Amino acid sequence: MDATAQILFGGLFQGSLYAMMAVGLALIWTTIGVFNFTHGVMMMLGAYIAWTLSEIGLPFALVLPLVIVVMAAVGWALQASVVRPLIGRPNIVLVVVITTLAAASLIENATLEIWGPRSKQLPPLIAGNTTILGVGVSLHQIAIIVIAPVVLAALWFFLNRTRLGLALRAVAQNEDASLLVGLNVKALYGLAFAISAALAALAGIFMGGYRFMSPVMGADPLLKALIVVVFGGLSSVSGPIFAAYLIGFFEAICSYYFGLYWTPALLFAVLIVTLMIRPEGIFGSKSRGLA
Amino acid sequence: MSALLEVQSLTAGYGRIDVLHDISISVGTHGNVGLFGPNGHGKTTLLRTISGLLKTKSGTITFDGKPIANASPRSIVDMGLIHVPQGNRLFPDLTIAECLTLGAYTKRARADEAANREKVVKIFPKLAERWRQKVRTLSGGERQMVSIGTALMGSPKLLILDEPTLGLAPKIKEELCASVLDISKGGVPLIVVEQDVEFLLELSQHLYLINHGEVATEIKPGETMDHAEIMALYFGQ
Amino acid sequence: MTAPIPVSAIPSSPGRASWRKEAAAVLVAFAVLALLPFVVTDSYSRHVLIMAFIYAVVASNWDLSLGYGGVFNFGHLALFGIGVYAYGLLTKFAGIDPWFAMALSGVIATIAAIVVTIPILRLKGIYIILVTFGFAQLVMQVILSQSDYTGGTQGMVRIQTLYIGEHNMIRDGKFAYFYIALAMLFLSTVFLRALVRSRIGAGIIALRDNEEYAVSRGVSIVRQRIVTLAASAFFTGVAGAFYAGYQRNASIDVFGMSLATIILSMVLLGGTSTIYGAILASFVLTIFAEAMADLGAWRPIITALLIIGVMLVYPTGLAGFIQSSWNGVFRRDNKVA
Repeated sequence: MDATAQILFGGLFQGSLYAMMAVGLALIWTTIGVFNFTHGVMMMLGAYIAWTLSEIGLPFALVLPLVIVVMAAVGWALQASVVRPLIGRPNIVLVVVITTLAAASLIENATLEIWGPRSKQLPPLIAGNTTILGVGVSLHQIAIIVIAPVVLAALWFFLNRTRLGLALRAVAQNEDASLLVGLNVKALYGLAFAISAALAALAGIFMGGYRFMSPVMGADPLLKALIVVVFGGLSSVSGPIFAAYLIGFFEAICSYYFGLYWTPALLFAVLIVTLMIRPEGIFGSKSRGLA
Repeated sequence: MSALLEVQSLTAGYGRIDVLHDISISVGTHGNVGLFGPNGHGKTTLLRTISGLLKTKSGTITFDGKPIANASPRSIVDMGLIHVPQGNRLFPDLTIAECLTLGAYTKRARADEAANREKVVKIFPKLAERWRQKVRTLSGGERQMVSIGTALMGSPKLLILDEPTLGLAPKIKEELCASVLDISKGGVPLIVVEQDVEFLLELSQHLYLINHGEVATEIKPGETMDHAEIMALYFGQ
Repeated sequence: MTAPIPVSAIPSSPGRASWRKEAAAVLVAFAVLALLPFVVTDSYSRHVLIMAFIYAVVASNWDLSLGYGGVFNFGHLALFGIGVYAYGLLTKFAGIDPWFAMALSGVIATIAAIVVTIPILRLKGIYIILVTFGFAQLVMQVILSQSDYTGGTQGMVRIQTLYIGEHNMIRDGKFAYFYIALAMLFLSTVFLRALVRSRIGAGIIALRDNEEYAVSRGVSIVRQRIVTLAASAFFTGVAGAFYAGYQRNASIDVFGMSLATIILSMVLLGGTSTIYGAILASFVLTIFAEAMADLGAWRPIITALLIIGVMLVYPTGLAGFIQSSWNGVFRRDNKVA
């Protein structure tokens, strides 16, 4: 019973974080067709800005929306500076990888300059611990397990049930046709980056509440998000969400039975087998488009 | 009556290559306009430039009294000039209902969304049967209906149709032609590019032959040219 | 940004210059480089040049898989890192002779490249980036977790140096290391150019440019991808081993994003599919980075801004920049916008 509960909580918790990260990557890939390597530093930057805001004494209820707004603006600006000018280039995928990698290095080093190397920690969303099913868990983790699906459901609702979400899905499928029904394609590209950065920042705040923050804290979550989107397919937003939880549970099971050390290797082995059988991912389809 | 759309001395193309050379056309003074001529001589380029997808190099385009050369496609759509491009793939993973909603995306069109939707269903009753079906699962004819329906959702003051019947089976083509005629009779002026001469002549009163990126011949109503001559122009050059 | 290599060494259309001309230009360029230690006598400047040679090997080999092969291999730096750690482990724990260990590191990197090629055989574009990037991270995690041998995050220290007889490698003002590095760059360059000009090279390029046609003409994707990746790995691994022996330590930083970004920008700034472009860009960027050494933490920030700036303005990289400034200076009449 103990094992089941531990795996259940571990899987739900990791899966929630991975889903928050992976969805943002997939959102940008499906709408613009580029891969955003600044996604990890966006997460980190969100956590650092939250730290500064709570240091100056703002209540957390105010910090959270502020960070989301600021990071959405950062995402928009990033898109306008290192992605939009390159649209239409024949080798755009590769060039955007470079510009976003360079931007990531820039933000990472700037963070080090501004905030210094000393590690920091954010206050948890809810302080304290509890015991559920005989397993001790922090309330912060419980909060994340509850909040993440709500956020993801809100994103799904936005994409599938609102006019703006519909426009975002349309741009992903056919740019010319989008222009001809009067969509503002450039603004929608900016919106995709803004939403993606806001989601990453939220994940950063979640992570900064239970682990020490450092300028490189986004690297591992970015890697996991990459694995998740490869696994779940890049062609939708729902695919990576399922894949994120699947991988979260896989990791929880692996680290329970084989230890933390073997988990990355096993994960990679599963990834390779998946790609050899289904190159487009388990939940993927060959088309590019949000759903 | 002044022209609804006036293209004057327009030069445009892709990159360094000019496709259109100093071309002038006028729409709205003599009924629907039909463009014809060999493939690859600039018909589609002309339409793409009018709707703002391509930049102009020189010349002016005036729609509804306002200059629109190099305006954004969005502002042009908002003014009511709506373009249904050739071989429109539309949005493969959206449903018919979603496409039509997108068609009414601009502020001006949103006001008439409900009325326009009714109109579209009246013209293309088939679409109502497949309201929640994704575009990729539709036949070519049905997809063309969704394309035109989506354009109608934008309350067009002028509708551009680029080869609407391209690649359609004869029976479906006939059906679509009838619908397009209905739309025209409903008071929406058209610019049509069409390979089917019969359909083109039935639909449009004012013809331009586009050749080598220029207007080779203009045929106004009254300047009757017999069928054989037009056929010769069509296939002869 | 003037180049230390004569511009004649950069063929405007690779493969078309006669091999005699190209060989002559390469020999002249390397002869000039070989004379440098007599002009540059302080060991710090020599160190900068040695680093430039190492980066040039890594970048030009990456150009083989990325530029010629069109395979977005983002695990290239992991191959370098594997060379670093293979050399460190082989000399430290297996007691293998440093020179032999250096060659063996190249072989191990080659094997690693073949292993990572298998999952990407059927993949395209972005998925190759993801898998190879994941491979690099995996190698790093394995090295981190085996801290008993690799030193984990602390890295390995006091790795055995290379030797030449009884010559003192440490107190000669980096004289010997300069020539070893140069020889390595020379062999790697000759190997790469010979490969891309050969029949195999033609197959690699054909596959990149028109996969369906190349396959229908009998070029095998599987064989070609494995050959491309494996060929790009050997000298990369050797360079890693040399780096470990030269620096005498190994650190996990070689797997970091910042090194990968810099080397990748050397490949792209130099203009892909030339080999020479990547080498040239490595020299320019390394020397440029050293010139900014006083700027401390601002250095990576400025480098990043520079990379973004060049990518935005010159889509074809430094090769395009040189081409356009060449046209600007010498052929003013030839103004085509």
